[in-house]
Amino acid sequence: MARLLINGKPRTVDVPPDTPLLWVIREHLQLTGTKFGCGMAQCGACTVHLDGAAVRSCKTPVSAAAGKKITTIEGLSPDGKHPLQVAWIAEQVPQCGYCQSGQIMQAAALLAKTPNPTDDEIVEAMSGNICRCATYVRIKRAIKRAAQGA
Amino acid sequence: MTTRLNRRDFLRTSAATGVGMTLWFNFGDGAGRAAGASAYDPNASMTITPDGLVTVHITKSEMGQGVGTALAQIVAEELEADWKDIRIDYPTSDPKLGLMITGGSWSVNWTFDSLSRAGAAARMSLVDAATQRWKVSAEECVASRGMVRHLPTGRAISYGDIVAKAPITKTFSEDDLKKITLKKPADYKVIGQWIQRLDIPEKTNGRAKFGIDSFVANMVYAKTAYPPTREGGKHTAVDDSEARKVKGWVKTIVNDQLVAVVATSYESAVKARDALKITWAPGPNTGVSTETIFSDFAAKAKDGAGAIEWHKAGDAKAALAGAARVHQATYTTDYVAHMQMEPMNCVARFEGGVYDLYTGSQFQTLAMGTLAAVLKTDQKNVRIHQHYLGGGFGRRLDPDIILEAAIIAREAGRPVKLIRSREEDLRRDFYRSATLQTVRAGLDASGKVVAWDNIIVATHPGTRWGPDFVDKQGLDQFALNGADHVYSIPNQSVRAIRTETGISVGYVRAVAPNYTFFAVETFIDELANMSKADPLAFRLAMLGDQPRLANVLKIAAQRGGWGTPLPANTGRGLACVSAQEKKTPTWTASVVQARVDPATGNVRVEKIVCAVDCGIVVNPDGVRSQVEGSLLFGLSNAIKERGTVANGALVQSNFHDYQVLRMNEVPDVVEVNVVQSTEFPTGVGEPGVTTIAPALSNAIFAATGARVRSVPLLPERVLKAIKEKA
Repeated sequence: MARLLINGKPRTVDVPPDTPLLWVIREHLQLTGTKFGCGMAQCGACTVHLDGAAVRSCKTPVSAAAGKKITTIEGLSPDGKHPLQVAWIAEQVPQCGYCQSGQIMQAAALLAKTPNPTDDEIVEAMSGNICRCATYVRIKRAIKRAAQGA
Repeated sequence: MTTRLNRRDFLRTSAATGVGMTLWFNFGDGAGRAAGASAYDPNASMTITPDGLVTVHITKSEMGQGVGTALAQIVAEELEADWKDIRIDYPTSDPKLGLMITGGSWSVNWTFDSLSRAGAAARMSLVDAATQRWKVSAEECVASRGMVRHLPTGRAISYGDIVAKAPITKTFSEDDLKKITLKKPADYKVIGQWIQRLDIPEKTNGRAKFGIDSFVANMVYAKTAYPPTREGGKHTAVDDSEARKVKGWVKTIVNDQLVAVVATSYESAVKARDALKITWAPGPNTGVSTETIFSDFAAKAKDGAGAIEWHKAGDAKAALAGAARVHQATYTTDYVAHMQMEPMNCVARFEGGVYDLYTGSQFQTLAMGTLAAVLKTDQKNVRIHQHYLGGGFGRRLDPDIILEAAIIAREAGRPVKLIRSREEDLRRDFYRSATLQTVRAGLDASGKVVAWDNIIVATHPGTRWGPDFVDKQGLDQFALNGADHVYSIPNQSVRAIRTETGISVGYVRAVAPNYTFFAVETFIDELANMSKADPLAFRLAMLGDQPRLANVLKIAAQRGGWGTPLPANTGRGLACVSAQEKKTPTWTASVVQARVDPATGNVRVEKIVCAVDCGIVVNPDGVRSQVEGSLLFGLSNAIKERGTVANGALVQSNFHDYQVLRMNEVPDVVEVNVVQSTEFPTGVGEPGVTTIAPALSNAIFAATGARVRSVPLLPERVLKAIKEKA
């Protein structure tokens, strides 16, 4: 039995401790904004925050998340108006959109630590997140827009 | 696997503009409703409700192109709707909706005319209802922003009120529709506007629903066990005694078609499936490898036996024999995987003889036909509930996952969710064929190209789908498009050799032009170099009767700094294309600037400048977004993606060994120039892709003098070419 704190709410799930956090979030709790892409921490689609740090939930056993604050895309902002979400719309970033929850969660962790990242810092932080539609130019632009509070 | 899709229907809709009329219109069904109706469905494309909202029914798949927004703009333009009243939805598959396929950069091109007429006819019907209510003449009324106004009196009624209060009786025959005079581009108010995409907000907050996000009551999870080879493997014995011990195991399914396990969670399904002891008969392809495939291709190209002529002009053979100089080069491309971010998945329920399938499909018509044939039911019992596609790129044209889920749901006796792992997704992909192309050209004494001969060895995907998808000669045009380039060369012959390798192929974004234009545009560069001509001038000299292509080529060259000095080991290359199809091309040209490290063969692409002429631009930012993405998708294909084969299966298994472009490899400059035009619109999802490999190969040549003729342009291949030159 795993006791979790997700987006401020306590949740209890009956799963083995080695179950990847991703499947608990997505399939058991039906918070489907967090996506499955590779299952081996290679693509970043499953990125969530554990105590504010970006982690790949597909390689995080549920046992490692116990006692920590888990934040998913659904809990990033109460009204969906996190500066990154606003910037993502302003820059019309998503294409298929499947990777974008992970991109935004990765970028949010970056901005929380580095409010005004340089281009290099953005590239460094974001190169673990694949976008097959290759919206990278706009992702970069949106992160800068959000950082500048525009 | 056969389908019930009629080839004539498929090709008719491929034929270009004005298509889909009969597919889209069922006037008479919805028209003529009495006053007080709950909604007005003038045709299959839209529903207008008394609240004034116009829901445009998008039968194209949303996989990132923003197609819903663009198609709704087309309807809204002629309907004279207020954009704020526009909503979109994605109908469940139905044979009545006609051909449901999304691909080929076709969507806007195929539907522009029919959706314009659908919008205009609905507007005329609404105006007619208002004039009857007011007993005034239509000439005195105008429709604008969702209202009909009677000019002499100033009376006005909203579309919503008309639907609620007035009988709408006007109907249109197909002939009536054809006779409608549509707006001129100068009068557009919605088309061409920078309108934000309707699907984007929910793609920033986790609410967008993809197939994988589906849940139905009483659902369990399924995992299939796949044979070790891509084709021809089959299970001969299955022992599930250990699988049954896994907590959550529900059922093991073994039949002629598949081996699968059903369990109460994804993770228990994985454990139970992995606990199966299966004996496989791997089939005839265990010896197939990249080496055997390419040596076979090379032998076939050299021998030429079985080559079928697909494109011909003049007499290439005679012209080659009489040429002053002949040049020949051979190009190869490796297998490419789709690697759409959302692994293939489907939720399936079988109840009361009906299959309900929750997924994202690019080709519902093929899925319905395939499932109906295999499951021995009627197409009306196959309902595909459309979701967002977490990337399509051609992968979701194939209904394999839908069929698999349907079979398992039927055998399990309850709804199942089937999700492939990334490894399964990659190993069960339908790849872009490996190809080998040998091109020969003859030049006359003045350096003019007078003869062109191209032999293309590839697997044709249409063969797998059945006789409906190849031409009379057995060729799939989507394995060859682009080889019929538009350069003015009097004598041409393009011949195709079809091969079957034991590796399944399909349609990958940009399809054949992604390899045919690599050969064509690299070879043109070689000919320019042979003739000591500037590659830009050399191309322009052969594009005298192609002003739109010449125009984008000049724009790209000018914006890309063509002819200006560059540092050592840095070069520019260009390519121009008539992709995706010669009859409906989006004229596209790119200049790629790259720096090569001659010691390692590493290539850094610094700049991509593209110019595109797609006719009327429906959604300007949508076009830019698609072209930006297509250029970088092309870069990923060009420098990274190499699927190799061993033991009859793809070697690579996930993103660690099948690498795609990441942010750190994006050039500093990715510039898209869109030509303003009033020509009939064509598609933009793919053509940009096809320019990158040849433009980059040409840039590497400009930087180093070394010619790389194999895609991807990997560092070891660049280094080898540099060494061979030295």
